Amino acid sequence: MVTRFPMSAEEFMNIVKEELNDSPDLIQKVFQIKGQSIIVQYIAYQIKKDRLERDLLEVITSSNNRWTNEDLINKIPISSTVQEEKMDKIIQQMIHGSVSIYIEGEKNVVLFALQNQNHRSLNRAETESLVFGPQVSFTESLITNLNVVRWRLDTEDLVVEKLIVGERIQSEVRIVYLKSLANNENVETMRQRIKDLKVAEVEDTSVLGQLIEDSSSTVFPQLIFTELPDRFCTSISRGRIGVMVDKSPTMLIGPMNLFSFFESTEDLYMRWNMGTFIRSLRFIAMALSIILTPMYVAALTFHYEIIPSTLLVSLGQSRATVPFPPVLEALLLEMLIELLREAGARLPTKVGQTMGIVGGIVLGQAAVEAGFTSNILIIIIALSALSSFTAPSYLMGTAIRLIRFPMILLAGAWGIIGIVFALSFLVIHLLKQKSLGRPYLSPIYPFQWNDFNDSFFRVPFPKNTGRSKYLMTKDQDRYSKAKASERKDVDPT
Amino acid sequence: MKTNIRLNPDKSVQAFYLFFIIHTSQIGAGLMGVPRILALEAGVDAWISVLIAGVYLHFIAYVMLSILKSYDNADILGIQCDLFGKWVGKTLGLVYVLYIFQLLLTVLKNYIEVVQVFVFPEMPIWLMALFLISLMVYSIVGGFRVVVGTSVIFFFLTIWLAFTIYKPITYMDLEHFLPVMQTSPWDVLKGAQQVTFSVLGLEILLFVYPYIQNKKEAALPVHLGVFFTTFLIMLVTVVSIGYFSPDQLKQTVWATLSLFKIISFSVLERFDFIAVALWMMVIIPNLVLFGWMIVHSLKRLFNFSEKPSLYTLAVLLFIISVIIEERIGLNELTNWTGRIGFWIVFIYPLFIYMVIILKKLLKKGQTS
Repeated sequence: MVTRFPMSAEEFMNIVKEELNDSPDLIQKVFQIKGQSIIVQYIAYQIKKDRLERDLLEVITSSNNRWTNEDLINKIPISSTVQEEKMDKIIQQMIHGSVSIYIEGEKNVVLFALQNQNHRSLNRAETESLVFGPQVSFTESLITNLNVVRWRLDTEDLVVEKLIVGERIQSEVRIVYLKSLANNENVETMRQRIKDLKVAEVEDTSVLGQLIEDSSSTVFPQLIFTELPDRFCTSISRGRIGVMVDKSPTMLIGPMNLFSFFESTEDLYMRWNMGTFIRSLRFIAMALSIILTPMYVAALTFHYEIIPSTLLVSLGQSRATVPFPPVLEALLLEMLIELLREAGARLPTKVGQTMGIVGGIVLGQAAVEAGFTSNILIIIIALSALSSFTAPSYLMGTAIRLIRFPMILLAGAWGIIGIVFALSFLVIHLLKQKSLGRPYLSPIYPFQWNDFNDSFFRVPFPKNTGRSKYLMTKDQDRYSKAKASERKDVDPT
Repeated sequence: MKTNIRLNPDKSVQAFYLFFIIHTSQIGAGLMGVPRILALEAGVDAWISVLIAGVYLHFIAYVMLSILKSYDNADILGIQCDLFGKWVGKTLGLVYVLYIFQLLLTVLKNYIEVVQVFVFPEMPIWLMALFLISLMVYSIVGGFRVVVGTSVIFFFLTIWLAFTIYKPITYMDLEHFLPVMQTSPWDVLKGAQQVTFSVLGLEILLFVYPYIQNKKEAALPVHLGVFFTTFLIMLVTVVSIGYFSPDQLKQTVWATLSLFKIISFSVLERFDFIAVALWMMVIIPNLVLFGWMIVHSLKRLFNFSEKPSLYTLAVLLFIISVIIEERIGLNELTNWTGRIGFWIVFIYPLFIYMVIILKKLLKKGQTS
């Protein structure tokens, strides 16, 4: 629509009303001051009303002079002011929470930003809880989140780029990285992928993540989603690139390799030996979670020989009453565990706990007594379910639980050959994955011995002077090794 | 066809990957049965045969590197065309392709046979072939970097199997080695020739060389790879001779795998099941590297595009591996592959090298 200012008060008000689809919440008020018509328009619930009245209306009505746009900008104590002459921009600003003021006869409309957003305050992290270390988690408000990130990464080096995504419903997206560290190519890849998106809307960071991922056919997540500011900021300070989306409490970090999905910032807060121990525990847990149940199925279906004779006796006893083949038995129990997990996630916390007890203990006990499953399988399934929950990334844990099902089926059909085939397939599949164009299985392939520091082990900080090579940071050193080990102790021994 | 290959740097890999490439393409089906084949020829002096073969391997690796160094960035296909002209060169290239196809088939069939003997007598051949070929195709489709990655990762996933040999070592009887040098030198040499089948795969150096970034450092990883191969063959041969009695060894077809039979853990009674299944991970780099060589050579020689030729290769491999059924046929095939491989891999490079030297001398003669 081509509209030209100046126009009359009624004309302007009618156009705005029409543009906002006769919204019942549109407030339009004309002040007659010194023979001037001043039109104030806003959407009722989008602005802070007390500030409007105190800072704006009071100043306008109490003045003795005629108002001009210049006066509005200079004399009103509100800092975010814009002059607009295009109708669609005016409407857009009003929707976002601006008050528009038009003095009849002027060529522009002045807009004051007085957004009123309701959001929860900073809370403890729920999905990725830490035992110790910072407990705060991100919220849905981009402003709050940016505030937290700025507070943690207190440096002028931090770059926050703004992009708009979505053709029908627009979302604000921020790309966050350290200018002197992050690899230009990585930043360029991330920026380009977000810019090239042609979608109607982006609901959440996790949706954006799936849209910009390297491969959407794999079960493995290629970018990390986190709700922890400390994880987000630690990743950025190592040279990774973060993405924040308005209205979403999860943040996105890339590029990642497979092993960084098993890292937790807690490993850094703990002493290095404990950190290494817990990290390796997670890797072992992952391996167990994938292998254990299929091995049981393979051994009991085809290869009785590999079970030690002492164990075989008790296994045989507990399986004697089970009428199903091991595959069916295992699938049944795996399904049970998955159901328990899903039901627990959907139910309110208090009921969820009861569910866990009823489902886990009562159902498990009854299943064994009824001759549905063997005791040993219950142990194995519980162990592998427990293991899959140790992954610090929820999505990775889910991926691991998912790949167990085809493996159980293969083990049931072709025993250990089926398992090795599935594992080989998995390894080749992982080899082919990339995260922001960087190899997913680094540091194993491409082989980087130095990067084992940050992926498999957590070496003591004075020893860990280099940065991860696969991130290709501009600065390859954290600090000098000589200075880190230098001591200025009081005791000169 | 151009003699030298031009690549963009994304496709090439570091020189130290040559260690993995060479080692994993050499170790494969051959290692499973090499002690018996050696024992049949050289008796208890089989280890001397391995030693001779190892030294000769290093020599051939040196010759191959020298051939490649006399060009900028060429592989054997380009060099053949440069030396013998377009038509002879392409024909020789085709011979290479056919030979690698046969090698691929032999490896595949041997492993399927092992699975049938050790784990699943009723496992249909076509199913095993389908498993292995599908993995091969899946990896090769990813391109050269994934092919090399496969060889690296599967090396790490299986190399620990070598440590389990400590158990048979404790049961070794050193008297089995006595008397030393009892076999005639001719038999020992024949034994050395029998090692051939187990170390075929060295020729991959002649194909991957253009893909190496820092070519000056290529010699060390190549020789290390060859050394490690020789070391493993030596290890299983020595342990087999010490562990089995001479007559027993001559009847144990897959002696290396039989060594695993004695290993047991408190949670795992029969380790050989696991070992034989895991051997699939030893075989996969073989298949992938050889398959890549074929596809890559066809592209170089006749400009066939890679994916169709890969799928054709997979289908052909599948059909032929299902057709050859009996153990006799497989023995025959393995013998033939060994013999042909001996000439192509261990004698032919010498010939090429001589031609190159002659050509250089001729050029010098002309210019001066």
